[in-house]
Amino acid sequence: MAFSATAEVTNGIARITLDGELDASSAPDFKAAIEKVAADKPRRLVLMLEGLEFMASAGLRVLIFAKQKLGSGTDIYVVGARPAIVETLEMTGFQHSVVMLPAYDAAQIEG
Amino acid sequence: MDELRVTAKLEVLSSIGAFVLKAAENAGLDRRAAYRLRLAVDEMATNIIVHGNPLEHSGDDEIRLTSEMNDQSLTITLEDRGPEFNPLEHETPEGHIDKPMEQRPIGGLGVFLAIRGVDRFLYERVNDRNRSTFIVHRPATTGNGR
Repeated sequence: MAFSATAEVTNGIARITLDGELDASSAPDFKAAIEKVAADKPRRLVLMLEGLEFMASAGLRVLIFAKQKLGSGTDIYVVGARPAIVETLEMTGFQHSVVMLPAYDAAQIEG
Repeated sequence: MDELRVTAKLEVLSSIGAFVLKAAENAGLDRRAAYRLRLAVDEMATNIIVHGNPLEHSGDDEIRLTSEMNDQSLTITLEDRGPEFNPLEHETPEGHIDKPMEQRPIGGLGVFLAIRGVDRFLYERVNDRNRSTFIVHRPATTGNGR
């Protein structure tokens, strides 16, 4: 149930792995991870969501923050999101602003 | 009927989630319906906690949830004593959904997910409280529950 956000930046690609439940009480941890990787000015942001069980709109707001913070030139990838989370992203139109992938695709993301 | 009373703080969201998921399980909802209901209640509770400006330390900063089911449906109610707030009067972000996310107004997403997550959403102002009611149809094969 507890939330964690683990961030790393390698060769200009920022990867943040989210686990657990992302609600309004845990969203500040996600936001802090975005701020941390933004300092390295990555060219891609990859969100690894296989372990994310729940995401409320507080998480969507952090995605908007990420887009604003990193600039529209930094593509955001959402990898491995569960069907319920994909549905939330689609209901709210976020699939137009991020690239959703079922699994990590090095050729596409790192190319 | 089951009931949960919690203080209006963000830390209680996981308890609210557990309460709703338990009710959904008892009602035999499938995973998708259970998730959407939990999300709907979480969003409305978050709204109350963040914007409700509850009267702290007066004992009035309480959120009350109930769950009740019959053969047809599961009903969750959420009550708070904050200022009157009718979610149905607040614009949903439908008109903005096709815009890039960095160009959209940030509010409204939670209310949108709350209203859209269930089969029926009702709002009433009763006895100086806001009451949101979330109704989800039960699968026909479930019968009378447990």
